[in-house]
Order: sequence, then structure tokens, then C-alpha cells
Amino acid sequence: MPEAIISAERLGIRFVRNRRRQLRLREMFIHRGGRTVRPTQFWPLRDLSFEVFPGDTVGVIGRNGTGKSTLLRLIAKVLIPDEGRIRVRADVAPLLELSAGFSNDLTGRENLHLVGALHGLGTRQLRRDFDEIVAFAGEQVERAIDTPVRHYSSGMKVRLGFAIISRLPHPILLMDEVTAVGDAEFRAKCYTTIDRLLAEGRTLVLVSHNENDLTRFCKRGLFLDAGRLRVDGTVQEALDAYQAVPR
Amino acid sequence: MTSGVLSLWTRRDSLRILVKRDLAVKYQQSVLGYLWSLIEPLAMGGIYYFVFGVLYSRDTNRHLGEAAGSYPLFLITGIFAWMWTNAAISEAAKALTSQARLITTLNVPREIFPVGRVAARFAEYVAGLPVLAAIALAYALGGKISPGWSLLVLPLAITLQAMLLIGLSLLLSALNVLMRDIERFIRLLTRLLFYATPIIYPYSLVRESSAPGWLKFAYELNPLVGIFQLHHSIWYPDEFPDTRLLLITVLGSVGALLLGWWVFRRLEPAVLKEL
Repeated sequence: MPEAIISAERLGIRFVRNRRRQLRLREMFIHRGGRTVRPTQFWPLRDLSFEVFPGDTVGVIGRNGTGKSTLLRLIAKVLIPDEGRIRVRADVAPLLELSAGFSNDLTGRENLHLVGALHGLGTRQLRRDFDEIVAFAGEQVERAIDTPVRHYSSGMKVRLGFAIISRLPHPILLMDEVTAVGDAEFRAKCYTTIDRLLAEGRTLVLVSHNENDLTRFCKRGLFLDAGRLRVDGTVQEALDAYQAVPR
Repeated sequence: MTSGVLSLWTRRDSLRILVKRDLAVKYQQSVLGYLWSLIEPLAMGGIYYFVFGVLYSRDTNRHLGEAAGSYPLFLITGIFAWMWTNAAISEAAKALTSQARLITTLNVPREIFPVGRVAARFAEYVAGLPVLAAIALAYALGGKISPGWSLLVLPLAITLQAMLLIGLSLLLSALNVLMRDIERFIRLLTRLLFYATPIIYPYSLVRESSAPGWLKFAYELNPLVGIFQLHHSIWYPDEFPDTRLLLITVLGSVGALLLGWWVFRRLEPAVLKEL
């Protein structure tokens, strides 16, 4: 049996609702804090234990606000758990916020190089693959590659972002409804790319509400409800459990 | 702390890229580009020269000592170093909040964002050094100053200043995510620091003033006092801080770095949730 590539042990994270970001003088002196809402703690995720092995394709299913995206961020190590621990034994390609890191004032070309490098792509590889990346992002982006990203539509930014991040050689892919963006043509391209990456043996963790995407890409399913892991089985079992919960 | 430094070192590429991007964004839109990083301090120097070098020249010259004949050089030396300080502290507040989406997507040591801001502003400081050297050369040729071994003080000044600024930047950037009031506080802080540091006036003016002893002591607790005395002592060896002031400065800078690092580490989980 191979070693788990992601393993979570009694993982939990606590958020604080209604935390005051500002010490308002008015509240301090006039209302003396009497009118403010008390901050309350809640656990978007708690007591999660699971293992993911290399090559697994895992769909994370659950209603809104049940900690699915939080789980992705914990795997991406951009959140630090308050309880338990999570081990990730390989690099992660975060297809989460595809246009994150773009600077509006810089051109598409400059952003491609900077964001690609931040994600860990080498300068040589970026130069070599430049044309392919831009071609993948589509004709619109190709024409605007030397204009500032400020003038891009949000779809264009997302396409360029996807084109860059899908180049990463990292073994783990994290996706949060990526296929929901872009037009039909671009979606088809995304599907082909993801199929190719999975055929290479990458590990996928996909958060989605789209049943077709889940059954298409994932074999395994995790069903989260109220921050707890209810089902860890096949994607069909998880979907059945999800649909069985009264809404 | 050691693991933090190590992880920062292994991701130094990311740091380099962030600094590059920072500078590219800053100078992308302006025609004069890099010249702006010189025009601003030179203009400020001009203003202070007019006030203290021309209008109050008698009082100023009395306290300047060896710098009496070269007040513009004294001013520019201080102001160039101050521009770095001011920009680094002012930008610390936004170092994390302005990059929120990147930070919540990409797994890099979060320290590189505030450290990167300090480094980018340091790059601008370095870009100004040739101008400073040119002005100094003019005074040296005129016989007003005679630079020598004292030039070696510059690396010491820069090292201490970098430690202090990185410490402050880590501290303020993390605090600002949790408490947005910090941003306003910083504006007040930088203005206060500018006058509470011997930048445009000589330190001896404070020492020989009639201010009460406790106030002078409080003044010396500001690590920037010693750092700017080191900057001035590059050209004017008499300005080199005495042992006591040097000790305060070193302890203050190292302490700020350790405190900033520790606070940043402690607040990191909460900061990531807030972003």
C-alpha cells in the first residue's frame, strides 16, 4: 500500500463570527459596548480524519457553508488548523482563485511571468511554454497580452490564470468549481486538460455542486455536513447521502 | 525563528519576484519612473535647507559642528535614509491586506510579504546612493569633508535599520489585519518619528537643549536616533554614537526584529482566517 499523499487527523478549525475589526470611539464612549453583538465561535470543520492516496480523485460534497472551501484551504496550507493536524506530502497546484496575484497595472505578459514564477514555474520553462500558455488562454487574451490586465474581462483573467496554474507539475490539484467559469468552449478545454492531468496520475480534490463534474472526474466522495465528515466512500455514496439530507 | 528564517531563505525566489513586481507596478505608470525616487527626497531636502540652512542659518550652523559647511549633504544623507524608513513603515499596514487573495491561495511563508515591502523600498534607497555619493564627492573636492574609514559605518547603519524596519513591518502588517485602526496610527507614528529623530537637525541640538533629563532619555530610546547618527557619521565621524547610544540602538533593532517575528508567528493563524 502506498503512503497517503494527504492525511488529516482529527482536523478542526475555529472561526470567530462578529469579531470587531475596528475599535470605534463612538462605541467605546457612547454605547460602552452594550450595543455590540458578542463575538461567537464556531467550527466550520471539526474532527475530520481521512487519507488521500496518490492518484485518488476526491469530490467534496456538501451544502453551502459546510466547510468545503475551508478544507481546500487547509490542504493548500493557507489556513492553519486549531485542532488535529493535516499532512500534505507533495506540492499543491491551487486552482482556487485563478486570477489571484495579478497586478492590474501590469500587462498580461508581465503577469504571466510573475505569477508563474510565484507558483514555482522556472523562468526557462515559462519562456519556452509562453506561446502555448497564451494560446490556451484564448484568442482574446492572445491579442491583449501586452495591455494591462486592468482592461481584461474577468473571464479573460480566469482563463489566463487557469492556463498558467494548469502548467504546474505539482502532483496535487485543488479545484473549487473551476469549470463554472468561462464560456462553453473554454470549459471544454478545461475538461480536456483536467482529463489529461488525471491520466498522468495526479491527485485531485474537487469541491463542486455540479453532479456531472463530480461523477465525471471523481471516484471517491467526501460528504461534509455541518463541519463533520458524514460519508467517506465512492462519489455515488456521497452524492446519495447529500441528496438524502432533508433540506 | 530559525525555521522561519530557513523557510524564508528557501523561498527567496518568491521574495525576489515580489520585490520585482512591487517595483514594476510602482514605476509602470509614471513617465519619470525611477527619477521620482530621487526627486522627492531632493525636493524635501531643498525645503528644509531653505528653512534651516537659510532662514535659521545662524542657529543651525552653531550646532552642526563639522557639518557646518555642508548642511545640504547632512540633510540629504538623513532624508534618503528617512525615505526608506517612512515608506517601509507606511506600507507595512497594507502589506498583507492588499495581497489577501494571493495569500489565501498560494502557500508561501507569509513573512515574505512584509519583508518584501521593506526590501523594495531598500532597493530604492540603494538606487539613490550614487546621487548621495556625487553630492559627497563635490563637498570632498571642496575640502568640506574628508571621507575615509568612516564610510564603513554605512553597512552597519543599513543592517540595523533593516532589522528594525523588518521587525516593525512584521508587527504592524499582522496587527493591521486584525485591527484596522493601525493604519491611522501609523500615519501619526511616522510624522512623530520624523521629528523625534536627528534627520534634519543635529543630535547635539537635543543633547544641549534645556529639555528635562527624562525627556532626553526617552528621546534616546528611539532606535532610529542611533541609526541616523550612524548614517551621519559616514561623512562626519564626530557624530558617531557613544557606547550607550549604540547599545540602545543595537538592542532596540534586534529587539524589534525578534518581537515582530514572534508576534507575526503568533497572529498568523488568526490573520489567515481574517484575510
